[in-house]
Amino acid sequence: MSTLLSNLALGFSVAFTLHNLGLCFMGCLVGTLIGVLPGIGPIATITMLLPVTFGLPPVGALIMLAGIYYGAQYGGSTTAILVNIPGEVTSVVTTIDGHQMAKQGRAGAALGISALGSFFAGCVSTLIIAGLAVPLTRLALLFGPSEYAALMTAGLAFAVVLARGSILKSIAMVLLGLLLSTVGQDLETGAERMTFGLPSLSDGIDFAVLAMGLFGFAEVMRNLTVDQARDVVHGKIGKLLPSGAELRQSAGAVVRGTLLGAILGILPGNGAVLGPFASYALEKKIARDPRRFGRGAIEGVAGPESANNAGAQTSFIPLLTLGIPPNAVMALMVGAMTIHGIVPGPLVMTRNASLFWGVIASMWIGNLMLLVINLPLIGAWVRLLKVPYRLMYPAIVIVCCVGIYSVNNLPQDVALTAVVALFGYAGTRLGFESAPLLLGFVLGRLLEENLRRALAISRGDLAIFIHRPVSAWLLFTGLVVLVVAVLPSIRSRREQVFVEE
Amino acid sequence: MRPSLFVLAVILALPLQGRAAYPERPITLIVPFAAGGPTDVVARIVGEHMSRTLGQQVVVENVAGAGGTTGSTRAAQATPDGYTLIMGHMGTHGAAPAVYPDLKYDPAKSFQPIGMAAGTPILVVAKKSFPAKDLKEFVAYVKKNSEKLNEAHAGVGSVSYTTCAFFNSLIGAKPTRVVYRGTGPALNDLVSGQVDYMCDQIVNLVPQIQAGTIKAYGVALPQRSPALPDVPTTKEGGLPEFQVSAWNAIFAPKGVPPEVVKKLSDALTKALADENTRKRLLDLGADLSDKAAQTPEGLAKLVDSEVVRWKKVLASASKDATPPK
Amino acid sequence: MGRVRVQAPQDLVAGASLLAVSLFALWAAAPLDAGRMSAPGPGLLPRVLAVLLGGVGVWLVVVSLVRPGESLGHWSLRGPVLIALSVVAFAVTIRTPGLAVAGPAAMLVAGAASPETRWRELAVFSVAVTAVCVGLFRWLLHLPIPILVIPGWVVL
Repeated sequence: MSTLLSNLALGFSVAFTLHNLGLCFMGCLVGTLIGVLPGIGPIATITMLLPVTFGLPPVGALIMLAGIYYGAQYGGSTTAILVNIPGEVTSVVTTIDGHQMAKQGRAGAALGISALGSFFAGCVSTLIIAGLAVPLTRLALLFGPSEYAALMTAGLAFAVVLARGSILKSIAMVLLGLLLSTVGQDLETGAERMTFGLPSLSDGIDFAVLAMGLFGFAEVMRNLTVDQARDVVHGKIGKLLPSGAELRQSAGAVVRGTLLGAILGILPGNGAVLGPFASYALEKKIARDPRRFGRGAIEGVAGPESANNAGAQTSFIPLLTLGIPPNAVMALMVGAMTIHGIVPGPLVMTRNASLFWGVIASMWIGNLMLLVINLPLIGAWVRLLKVPYRLMYPAIVIVCCVGIYSVNNLPQDVALTAVVALFGYAGTRLGFESAPLLLGFVLGRLLEENLRRALAISRGDLAIFIHRPVSAWLLFTGLVVLVVAVLPSIRSRREQVFVEE
Repeated sequence: MRPSLFVLAVILALPLQGRAAYPERPITLIVPFAAGGPTDVVARIVGEHMSRTLGQQVVVENVAGAGGTTGSTRAAQATPDGYTLIMGHMGTHGAAPAVYPDLKYDPAKSFQPIGMAAGTPILVVAKKSFPAKDLKEFVAYVKKNSEKLNEAHAGVGSVSYTTCAFFNSLIGAKPTRVVYRGTGPALNDLVSGQVDYMCDQIVNLVPQIQAGTIKAYGVALPQRSPALPDVPTTKEGGLPEFQVSAWNAIFAPKGVPPEVVKKLSDALTKALADENTRKRLLDLGADLSDKAAQTPEGLAKLVDSEVVRWKKVLASASKDATPPK
Repeated sequence: MGRVRVQAPQDLVAGASLLAVSLFALWAAAPLDAGRMSAPGPGLLPRVLAVLLGGVGVWLVVVSLVRPGESLGHWSLRGPVLIALSVVAFAVTIRTPGLAVAGPAAMLVAGAASPETRWRELAVFSVAVTAVCVGLFRWLLHLPIPILVIPGWVVL
């Protein structure tokens, strides 16, 4: 315990210099900004700003870059709630109930609980990193391909829970998402799968293309075709922060979401994306009145937002303790550290103790700064909603276009998004929802790669998923979730309520 | 009358000014892999110094995909005005024709070589619990039990894929080749013991070897690498034929004017002679010894020989390999 | 013999669309090697998914004939098509002549999708928003987005 305290003291002494505080602030500010802007994510930004950090000492550079990453999680929920466009992969779930809350005039409460929940998650996760980094890494090493495949399969069960309307159509969307994720060059054999010879599809469909198409442009299309009298998100602004009652309601969700996100974030291979989905599914299942979900239940925002921030923080663990990046952003951090002369690996914790603990301490400071940045901004965002829609939607169109273009600098991506948007519009008119599709898409690659990897290692023995305890347990959990989710709808078939978009 | 004559004169003068001094604006250096990887790091380190010599920013642009061939195709099709370059490597400009049958560029004909930046030596590494003391025992064990072993690589066309194809065919091993999306996940499973061995660039492996999470059996260099002085060379370990280096080099699209080539080549040489740059590259474990390939002509020769070599190696490797599922 | 009545037109079209997608996917994945269940090839998962999707589609079609559901509702063409066109306009103009033209172009085409658009207001607004985008994306975030590109003359 005393070593922990002395390490934290070391960390704070490093992080509390004016220089590093300034860099932390800048990172958080930029992070929030790109989180808000749809399409642009931490990867593109960190890559672009990497040269800017060359003149900085390594600790400062890392503090700033880290700030950009977890800052983006805070910002991503803003557009998700206000205009139903997920700023980041992890904000997809927030759109479901967050935007409904905004339509009911409770945008302030949604944004507020999002910031507060994320702050709580950030603090707890920082403590987890400080105290439990090494044992947790050992836990993560237990996860092999079969465990991952089982985890992703269990994750698919969440899709059924995500459904607001017809479960059958939700399953169809998950299947379609999985199918879309297979487009691209096959990793194992190099064969082109359903790319029709288009080089821009060779690496698969970009998440931003789907998200912008289905949520951004399609949403604009939907809003334009509705009777113009019904204006989106107009009317009372409502309170700027969640009420006491709402805070009490969300408290449990925040804690549960934090734990879920923190655990999933440690798993290398981008387990963190599952966090918000798992949290939403959990909250919906244990809620006393699950029908509130999909209609503006605050737990549906509080839980996932805490989960995604917790996941963002704990995903630093494999990087800092093992030197192995769990996702693409962390891989960038590896490059950043390497360029600054620090090669990440298991010895960084001891050899560069001041760097290690300085970054951890700055995460806590960063979360505090983000709270301070985001809470006052709520008033500004909410006022932005008063802009007449006839002006807002062309602005949304242009910002989304630039966002997609910035991912790969390919006009083809932008054009593809238009096609996706048309299909998305048609889809919603037919009663299909987009969130399950994105879930399927995100999980698809992870599921298939790990499935084939596990079977390669086991030489085709399908029983491996049951022989290995962790994997068996995960599959069982997924099955339970699926059964529990489908059961009520079979029983109350006649009473099934179709929620209109 | 006079204002329009003036405008005409300005317009006519503009293209003349274009020829004046290269470079006049920032230069894009395409890195055909995701940011953070070894090629990217080398590109940024070298590019930073070249920016100083050239007087214009060398901006790294990551265009990842298809084992590096997406970025290479983009570079090959770029305007040959010296403002688009590419940091290619042994995969994109050596092994690619052998790996990708309908490659949209020719490493020798579509590009103008500028010079090699740095080579990253290859190591043979295995999981911590692998039952072999040194390279000899390792080779013997792998030969005997290869069908039961799992070898990790980072995707068709990656350095770990081609170099281990070479290694396997040299010793006659037929392991199951398990594919990962990048070195990170592959290394992760090696550390946790899910897979048995791997061949990869030194840059990614140094910290793990130093911490003891994986075992290194040999480095494919004529003499030991200063970054890992305890790891014997493949020659010492009894497998001298396994000599590979994942070289990284700068290319421009074919047709770039000779003055531009000379300027770029000089800037590169200066960068590689700079004390600070050298130190940063050597600390990573990079190998800067091949001076011949640091010139445009030397690099051209290297590319030609590598294309031939990898065609041969991968052809023989695919003959004995387990057919892809 | 009674006529089969479509009770839920929305479900019918939905199911039929899924079936169409499924058949398209099966066609697109045809050249891929499926392998076996215990040794999946690149074609296995796409085919399995396409079949499952088609199955759901068929089920929906059947259900639509049996259970009452929603009607197709009102489908507007003007809005969606114009929005899609505005995005395409952006895609076509972004590389040359660059954001300075692509921005207003996209916004103005998008404006045509709503009957409420006030043109002069939108024109000014689009220039302003484009300027903000330039400052934000290019200047602040250092993203390599072409601002104004006239070949042989200006490259910004």
